[in-house]
Amino acid sequence: MKFFIDDLPVLFPYPRIYPEQYAYMCDLKKTLDAGGHCVLEMPSGTGKTVSLLSLIVAYQQHYPEHRKLIYCSRTMSEIEKALTELKALMKYREGQLGHTEDFRALGLTSRKNLCLHPSVKREKSGTVVDARCRSLTAGFVKEKKERGEDVDLCIYHENLDLLEPHNLVPTGVFTLDGLIKYGEQHKQCPYFSARRMMPFCNVIIYSYHYLLDPKIAERVSRELSKDCIVVFDEAHNIDNVCIESLSIDITEDSLRKATRGASNLERKIEELKSSDAEKLQNEYTKLVEGLREAEQAREEDQFISNPVLPDDLLKEAVPGNIRRAEHFVSFLKRFIEYLKTRMKVTHTISETPPSFLTHLKDLTYIERKPLRFCAERLTSLVRTLELVNIEDYQPLQEVATFATLVATYDKGFCLILEPFESETATVPNPVLHFTCLDAAIAIKPVFDRFSSVIITSGTLSPLEMYPKMLGFTTVLQESYSMTLARRSFLPMIVTRGSDQAQVSSGFQIRNDPGVVRNYGNLVLEFARITPDGIVVFFPSYLYMESIISMWQGMGILDSIWNYKLILVETPDAQESSLALETYRTACCNGRGAVLFCVARGKVSEGIDFDHHYGRAVLCIGVPFQYTESRILKARLEFLRENYRIRENDFLSFDAMRHAAQCLGRVLRGKDDYGVMVLADRRFQKKRTQLPKWISQAMLESETNLSTDMAVATAKSFLRTMAQPFKAKDQEGISTWSLADLERHLAKQRQEEDRMKRETLADAQANNGFHRNGAGIADHDEFDDGIDEDLVMLDAQ
Amino acid sequence: MCESCVDRIFSSGPAPCPVAGCHKTLRKAKFRKQTFEDIGVEREVDIRRRVMQILNRREEEFATKRAYDDFLEQREMIIANLVHGTDVAKTETDLQRYAQENLSSIRANQALEAQEATTFQERQTLEQEQARLRREAARQEYENERRELLAGREDVLSRLAAGRAGDAAAIAREGQRVLLKKSSARRSEEERIRQKQAVLRGSELRKGVAAPTTAGITGAPDSGLVKGLKKIEVPVPDKPYDPFGGLVPDKRDYYTLQEHYPSTYLDPIRQDTRMLAGGYDLREYYSRTLLEAFAGLGCFLDEELSESGSLDASKPVATQGAAMAAATSGGNASKA
Ligand code: SF4
Ligand SMILES: [Zn+2]
Repeated sequence: MKFFIDDLPVLFPYPRIYPEQYAYMCDLKKTLDAGGHCVLEMPSGTGKTVSLLSLIVAYQQHYPEHRKLIYCSRTMSEIEKALTELKALMKYREGQLGHTEDFRALGLTSRKNLCLHPSVKREKSGTVVDARCRSLTAGFVKEKKERGEDVDLCIYHENLDLLEPHNLVPTGVFTLDGLIKYGEQHKQCPYFSARRMMPFCNVIIYSYHYLLDPKIAERVSRELSKDCIVVFDEAHNIDNVCIESLSIDITEDSLRKATRGASNLERKIEELKSSDAEKLQNEYTKLVEGLREAEQAREEDQFISNPVLPDDLLKEAVPGNIRRAEHFVSFLKRFIEYLKTRMKVTHTISETPPSFLTHLKDLTYIERKPLRFCAERLTSLVRTLELVNIEDYQPLQEVATFATLVATYDKGFCLILEPFESETATVPNPVLHFTCLDAAIAIKPVFDRFSSVIITSGTLSPLEMYPKMLGFTTVLQESYSMTLARRSFLPMIVTRGSDQAQVSSGFQIRNDPGVVRNYGNLVLEFARITPDGIVVFFPSYLYMESIISMWQGMGILDSIWNYKLILVETPDAQESSLALETYRTACCNGRGAVLFCVARGKVSEGIDFDHHYGRAVLCIGVPFQYTESRILKARLEFLRENYRIRENDFLSFDAMRHAAQCLGRVLRGKDDYGVMVLADRRFQKKRTQLPKWISQAMLESETNLSTDMAVATAKSFLRTMAQPFKAKDQEGISTWSLADLERHLAKQRQEEDRMKRETLADAQANNGFHRNGAGIADHDEFDDGIDEDLVMLDAQ
Repeated sequence: MCESCVDRIFSSGPAPCPVAGCHKTLRKAKFRKQTFEDIGVEREVDIRRRVMQILNRREEEFATKRAYDDFLEQREMIIANLVHGTDVAKTETDLQRYAQENLSSIRANQALEAQEATTFQERQTLEQEQARLRREAARQEYENERRELLAGREDVLSRLAAGRAGDAAAIAREGQRVLLKKSSARRSEEERIRQKQAVLRGSELRKGVAAPTTAGITGAPDSGLVKGLKKIEVPVPDKPYDPFGGLVPDKRDYYTLQEHYPSTYLDPIRQDTRMLAGGYDLREYYSRTLLEAFAGLGCFLDEELSESGSLDASKPVATQGAAMAAATSGGNASKA
């Protein structure tokens, strides 16, 4: 259908639109017009991606600026989904407009997913694929080949050079699969095709990391212009992504490998000195002059990338004491040895970067300045030495990155040295966590650089938390409610068991047999009444294990077994996917199944339980983070001191966003239905922190239920849901046809008119009132008065 | 070498190194714990420590950043030489010479460094203390709030228990209101704390800035080893204040004042008690007349005019007249 938002014609690839989609698009347009950032919370299963794409593509094509869209999503499957939607949209547009638009859209993912090289693509680890690919494609390898040396090149990469550089793939939308197919047919590398075509695309779809991880962003995303529209979809975890992209863990093992890397470098330098000393000398001269390799023709050649550095630093020359290659290597060795001494800790230590630096200087005379240049200097050296097996230097690079970060940021980072890997471990395995505490650091370049950044997800409540944590201001924050023709999901809070004893996963009572039994009964009852699949979420693996073994002892599992198959998520990805597979089969063939999983695990984030795959979701306990973690404590303190976010507020916000994510898993569309149960006494007070669309659907009377009441309510709900429900019933209410939309617009206009008239009438009334006091007014004079008032209104 | 071995061999004073072929004499006191796993690094750091203590120039002392970088590289070379045993003798002598020549600057920089370290240390502890206080405050605040909440609830309950049925709603409402008030009070309190903390932080910062960074180095020009140092200008000591700006008040350019000038007209005055009684001093008169006679002789209109570039027709006349007058009275004066 086609409709207008203000002056913008929008082509929407479906005959019907949801009212919230329309509202969402209007707000998006407002944001783009205003040129600012926004935070939008859109209920899950209401076609967020398609609304977003159709509005932005319409915007792009209609206005002369043709602003580019950078759409970031989290997983490969989400990227693929978005590309498919976009493809359908473009096809629809073509049909409507009667001509093909000059339009390009590509997705980008790692080499591992896109590689075509027969032997490289079989490697299992992503870093190995990257490294092997580099050794087949680097510029100097090619030079060697031209000199007649016998080196391997990747033919898929070579073929690209035969094509026009700005037209490696034809126009249109390519899904990742499509791109791979095209690459196979034309014998060209899909990864490099996508990367080199980036500047010529109207829409780019890739994962967060390409923008947020400074190590990658520098290489992949730097040519993007300022007026790009950046969208972070499924952004409820964006702060954690930001933090992770700047955090580094160093273990003894990685230090050992780094030492080996440094020795290798040393050897290579010696070799090069005897064979081709000129190269080293060239590098040296360049560094002395403070020249940057800005003119580096192909950025993709760069092996190792740098973390964020302030601009002024980038313009400075490398300090003298690490200018010479051999000095730099000895510098690195010293630094690594120092780190090794720090690993000999017996208790947990947390330290700020400045105090770390002082100690470092006392012991090894390493100063801050050269440390800051570490990563960059290493990059340059690696390039000069023309190293091929880059993967061996990975740990060394990590150390260098750490060095640069620790010397660059005084605030917002924290070093934590832990002698043991976990609480229960007895064999020391020290880890140095260099953790970023401030999510704003990683995302700041994005906000600085792009004029419109859109953060959107199904669960972003409370909305004001995100601008606070990420340090930006919005022009718009909005949370949409879900319009429903019938109540298709039933959120409830269970606070008590059938015996009226309170249930909670609170630390004091979580292992209390009574509480465990009550939880068990809750699951059992729901297993009895719910058709097909049930998903149960626990706050942590630890808790899940202990509660399951207790249920086993109580015979609860056996009873559940009578109704449903029982499957459990484990930290092992392969096992979990097998469990999931079985679960799906059981849901399809009518046996029905219960899936036990963890609120912060893979299942809670990426897997949808639509329709019969999930008719009920139970959240056992509030999914708080493990608060004894030093890292979390440091972050909480940082948030309190710098952003005035109180510890408890943050913890509760974080727990609730995960709970909401879990709940959202079962409802993936408007024709879907499901029961959502939050089973913990403490949910009652935290209800307000749920997304608007969930909390609005929750009746006051259903926020403090006991198990038996909840079961009764759910039973009757499921019975009504079982009644036939036709798409027709939704029409005009939760879905609009074009006519409905027009009616709505007309109504809106009327409403506006009415409002205007009312204010006018008010003004008149006021006027009249005053006049009455003064006696009966003359008609002409009266009219003048209104005009005056109107002018006043306008002025206001 | 393990501790007991060290004890065994060296406890009775210095002894030769137990390693075959090595003839150095070692002392027990010189043994110490190894810090680094890699013995090479350990040795390097030892050498580095010594070199760094001598070559401790600071970035501020160099004219350009480039010069400083060169210095850093040079230092690195020296250390590498010592570590790898190339050119040890020459490097050592260079180093020793430098150390002797620049003793004062080395001392000054060492002192400066020590001072910096202590201020940093102080600041660090201060910051930690403040962080602790802030943490404490936050906890306190949280607890207070909780207590208040509980107390408020109890209060309402007890009043409900005591009051009549009709009051219930009113009491409940009031309780709500009290809570609201408290929370808003808390918010303003929070605001206050925040401001206080901001002020605290500000003062910390200022303290940090105030930390001395001046490099008080006594002059040492390019000292053989180290190049590119800033030329140090010794500031000229302040002269005593001169109100006349270099003019000497009693000095005259063209004449010297005499005690006595013979004159028939003036001589009798010397004896005239009527005049002397009032304190009249002929010397005053001499001085004034001569000053008047020579006034203007120091001005050279020619120069001034050519400087300003404008011409004045009457100039030669005036100047000549003045010169003539000067010549005559000057003649008189010198004659006297
Ligand atoms: S160039 Fe492409 S096809 Fe060749 S190895 Fe690299 S990723 Fe694989
Ligand atoms: Zn021994």
